[in-house]
Amino acid sequence: MSLVLEFRKVKRTGLAEAFLGGGILAAAVPFLNMTFRSDRYLSANGSPVTILMDANWQMMSMLNVLLTVAGACILYHIEYADHTMQKMNTLPIREVRLFFGKAGVIFTFSILFLLTEAASVAACAARWFGSGPETAARVLYIFGFALLMLLPPILLSLLVSSLCRNMWISLGIGVVCVFAATMLPTRDFVLTLFPFALPFQTPGSLAADAVRNYAIAAAAEAVLIVLLEVIILNVRRLFE
Amino acid sequence: MNFLSLVGIEWNKTRRSKIFLILILATVILWAPSVLNANLNFGMQAEGISPENNFFIQGFMAMAWFLFPATMVVITVMQNQTERSNHGILKMLSLPVGTAKLCMAKFVVLLSFSAVQFLMSAGAYYLSAAIASRTQSYDFFLPPLFVLKEAGVMWASAIPMLAFFWLLAVWIQTPIFSIGIGLTSIVPSVLLINTRIWFLYPMCYPFFVITSEYGKLAANLETAPVRLTPWLPAAGLITVICLSISCFRFGRAERR
Amino acid sequence: MNIIETQNLTKRYSGFTAVSELNLHVPKGTVYGFLGPNGAGKSTTMKMLLGLIRPTGGSFVIDGRRFPDDRTQILKEVGSFIEAPAFYGNLTGEENLEIIRKILGLPKASVSEALELVGLTDFRKRLARKYSLGMKQRLGLAGALIGRPPVLILDEPTNGLDPAGIHEIRTLIRSLPRQFDCTVFVSSHLLSEIELMADCVGILNHGRLLFEGTLQDLKFSAAAQGYPTDNLEDTFLTLIDADNRRRGGAR
Repeated sequence: MSLVLEFRKVKRTGLAEAFLGGGILAAAVPFLNMTFRSDRYLSANGSPVTILMDANWQMMSMLNVLLTVAGACILYHIEYADHTMQKMNTLPIREVRLFFGKAGVIFTFSILFLLTEAASVAACAARWFGSGPETAARVLYIFGFALLMLLPPILLSLLVSSLCRNMWISLGIGVVCVFAATMLPTRDFVLTLFPFALPFQTPGSLAADAVRNYAIAAAAEAVLIVLLEVIILNVRRLFE
Repeated sequence: MNFLSLVGIEWNKTRRSKIFLILILATVILWAPSVLNANLNFGMQAEGISPENNFFIQGFMAMAWFLFPATMVVITVMQNQTERSNHGILKMLSLPVGTAKLCMAKFVVLLSFSAVQFLMSAGAYYLSAAIASRTQSYDFFLPPLFVLKEAGVMWASAIPMLAFFWLLAVWIQTPIFSIGIGLTSIVPSVLLINTRIWFLYPMCYPFFVITSEYGKLAANLETAPVRLTPWLPAAGLITVICLSISCFRFGRAERR
Repeated sequence: MNIIETQNLTKRYSGFTAVSELNLHVPKGTVYGFLGPNGAGKSTTMKMLLGLIRPTGGSFVIDGRRFPDDRTQILKEVGSFIEAPAFYGNLTGEENLEIIRKILGLPKASVSEALELVGLTDFRKRLARKYSLGMKQRLGLAGALIGRPPVLILDEPTNGLDPAGIHEIRTLIRSLPRQFDCTVFVSSHLLSEIELMADCVGILNHGRLLFEGTLQDLKFSAAAQGYPTDNLEDTFLTLIDADNRRRGGAR
């Protein structure tokens, strides 16, 4: 119910177009990279999908995270810009349902753009490396993992946006966090658990137990962020 | 009304706009990790770069790759929002001043903000170098002339990129879109600096320049050298095109 | 002598005509009330006079100068206040006026004079975004009055003011032609308001001019058509209603 409402609210905000455009752009990265520098990758060792992910995932995931940050900002901006939030608070619904609805919107869009990107990687593997349909399962596994890794930054950027009435502040925090995530040393496991750094991980370059650890960490972070949001919303209400 | 006083007026309009706060924040975020991770500069034997050079270049590379362009995207949009949020632009358009002149004055203000960011970064570099020198008992200082020259070259190379961001902010009315497109346009620059057509993509320029400098400082690294042709003509053309369209589009939405 | 004259001024958007072949004559040294219901095309007309909107057809002359050739010269002589007040929220009232002063090349004292005129002197150091609606409106007016321009174009200047404020601004506008030797072209959707300050009126409905002349002429013309004349507000409403009916019930 609230998910449907949230989808209705984003009409004409340009959010769907932004996600579509961002998804296409991210999907174009491996294509462009292979078009310009295929010789470098064709001679590399490893499975085609791993080579493609290693070469492009940094950039693709950065676009994905930036997209979710911007999406979260817009979703709460439409509430705060014309004081709709005030109206929402006078209606008999719990504020946290708004949060879940918005998370549902971004999550759904994320599935769509990740699928576009997965299709692009599979197509590149087929075109340049001659991979067959057997890569499909591997690609889907990798992008399923990517979706899980995207969950904490989606929730955290929504949490920040729900707290800041001014969109610029939430956007600024988001951009700084994404930047900080790209600057973190990747050797330190604990540091890579920073929610905005998680989406940069991809199973191809991780050991099996590391994949499991990241999956557990992402799920745990998601639960923690939701709990935090519930607590903050309740506390904030006391002070308003 | 001469152009310089118009620039002065535009400067005054940015009062209390928190732009300086953003610049300071960006500088702190950039240099604080360098100070904390100063010990990593001693493990660069594979690249063959001295710790002090690495300390300097890594900071400026991080700045050129994302933080500087991102800050500039945000500032261009903020500059335009100051005009739009309370219809200030409507008043401006009903005063005897040319729109193109107004647009260029604002671009000059943007250029000065970008220069301020480089100066702040150079200042923060010395502060960080001082702290790192203490904590690591190693002299991280580089000659000021070298640091200022690098900052100056990077700033100059960023002008076409700034013209492009300015165009985005002027043309695209929805702020989140101009920011979104601006930020996403930065990301592919990592890919494009490694291609032959890098000079066609202005968002690459500062990063390309500093990466090239990195190659010069690191004995075992080979990076593409900066060749002025066809770069300079391409950069000039991109700047002129972006600024012309911006001047043409400026205030259009309000004058329908 | 007319200081503002329009010849068949027209603005068409895709699908509808906002202003249709308008011929206005604003006499010098008067307060000209530009009247019409919401959406009649008053703001569009005023914006065209300021070059904020490009006309689809027709032309106009302000103080003997033509648009767009003499744009800068016209804007130097016209003080304007259009729709919602326009200002920079991050600047104080005084700083906002300072910007306009510098662009117009006026002496320093003109800022304090304008602030004094609209009664904002005490609040000159306050950020404009912290102003109340009425104060923002006054700041907008100060931005129009600064430097005593010979022509003032004011779009619904009393919107959002309280009754005392409305009275005060009305009295100010009424006194301007005598005080500053200027012409005021002011719009409103309330005849009762225009009645108290204007020498001449122009009544606009659906982009067309229904009447132009003095208030006295309006009474005569209405009486001739069999409309009520005891209360001018009723006259105005009947006039608009009759026009709407002529257009086939469109409102």
